[in-house]
Amino acid sequence: MAFFRNKRNLYPLIAIASALIIMVFGLVMARTVVCSYFLLGAFVWVILFGCYKQALKVLPLFIVFGGAFALIAFFSSGKNFDGALAMANRFGAVFLAIIPSTSIQAVAMTRNLSQLHTPRGITLGMLITMSFIPVLRAEIKRVREAMRTRGAGSILNHKIFYRAFLIPLVTRLVDISDTLALSIETRGFTLGKSKYTVYKREAVNYMDVVYIFGLVAGIVLAVVL
Amino acid sequence: MTPREKAILELVRLSEEEQRIADEAEKHGESGKGKRKIFQKYMIKDIVFLAIITCCTLVTGAIMPLLVNVPLFGIIQLGLGIQFSLFPVIGMMKVKKPFALLLQSMFISIFLVFMFPPMVLLIACALVAELLTLLIFRGYRSDWACVFAGTLYLPLTLPLLYMYYNVFYTVSGEEKAAVSMFIGGGNTGLIVGISFAVLAVCFIGSVIGMVIARELKKAGKLK
Repeated sequence: MAFFRNKRNLYPLIAIASALIIMVFGLVMARTVVCSYFLLGAFVWVILFGCYKQALKVLPLFIVFGGAFALIAFFSSGKNFDGALAMANRFGAVFLAIIPSTSIQAVAMTRNLSQLHTPRGITLGMLITMSFIPVLRAEIKRVREAMRTRGAGSILNHKIFYRAFLIPLVTRLVDISDTLALSIETRGFTLGKSKYTVYKREAVNYMDVVYIFGLVAGIVLAVVL
Repeated sequence: MTPREKAILELVRLSEEEQRIADEAEKHGESGKGKRKIFQKYMIKDIVFLAIITCCTLVTGAIMPLLVNVPLFGIIQLGLGIQFSLFPVIGMMKVKKPFALLLQSMFISIFLVFMFPPMVLLIACALVAELLTLLIFRGYRSDWACVFAGTLYLPLTLPLLYMYYNVFYTVSGEEKAAVSMFIGGGNTGLIVGISFAVLAVCFIGSVIGMVIARELKKAGKLK
């Protein structure tokens, strides 16, 4: 496995392309058994290319949700195995596509887009959206802790949800955005057409090519055989 | 008069003067050039706020991968209507500039690709919603312009997804039943009913977004 992991992550755009390939093929071929084999092969393939952590995170989710929906499809279609298989394959394709996409680091994606001369506003926005999720989670936790401390009551009550959760959360987000904007400006970031340098450039590695060709070869084999 | 009192008086005088200048500038902006100017340049703080609010939309919309496989017409829009109208409206109410919605949809689309690729069509929907808003309201000065754009944003995906299911799902050939369920089984009443339900959900979400934004504005948070 170490042989395949000769660099930390997949090239961002190749990771996105592979996620799309897996999802589209999985959804199109969902009713066939070949699709299940392909998804299984693709799962092993992404693990070989260093996405094992993401794969281990996604696997339980797929088992729970995919299994539940497959069971629903099985019974709702009059105990028809094909219906359950199609549903499981669809969920498999969606969850499998999440694995390479979650392996992309926010900064790597930004660097990659900057190299391709994507407008600065868009790369900045995407970077913040990608990397803000843990901050948002922490803020939600803080607001909920404050609610508990103040004895605000159940969050399921819409009035309490609005007054004690939603308003403080959005207020906090506004404060964070102001501070973050100032901090970005003081670091010399501009939205104009000023020149900039990408110090650590993202490059396509031969392993990226092997990875994407492997997936395409898997699709061809699944269609031909 | 002690030096401390003198300093306090000086501070009060300065703050009054600053307030007067700000009021005059605002007045001038409303009656002069500012009123006519629809397209304004984006600042870093606008992009940052839109990105953060998009992150909220994304996190609360993470149920999408589960909804996409439920064969019911409009289920995605019904499930995501509140989130996809509430947060974008807050974003537009703070950044009252054209294409704020389009920017939000661009930021979110890269993540939606992994959840459900056709939802990237949100970019097209945002563009249509923005153009309609600009045509009708001539900008985002009115709060109701934001509500209008927020209400139209997600329901516009309904016809696009209808086309998607018709074209894409028929590739499988045998899935006529699933296709039929996804596109409402040709039942016009059901399609119209769900479309109105989606519009209503999005309108409610937009109005809540507007109420929150107004409250924050009153508290001096949204400038």
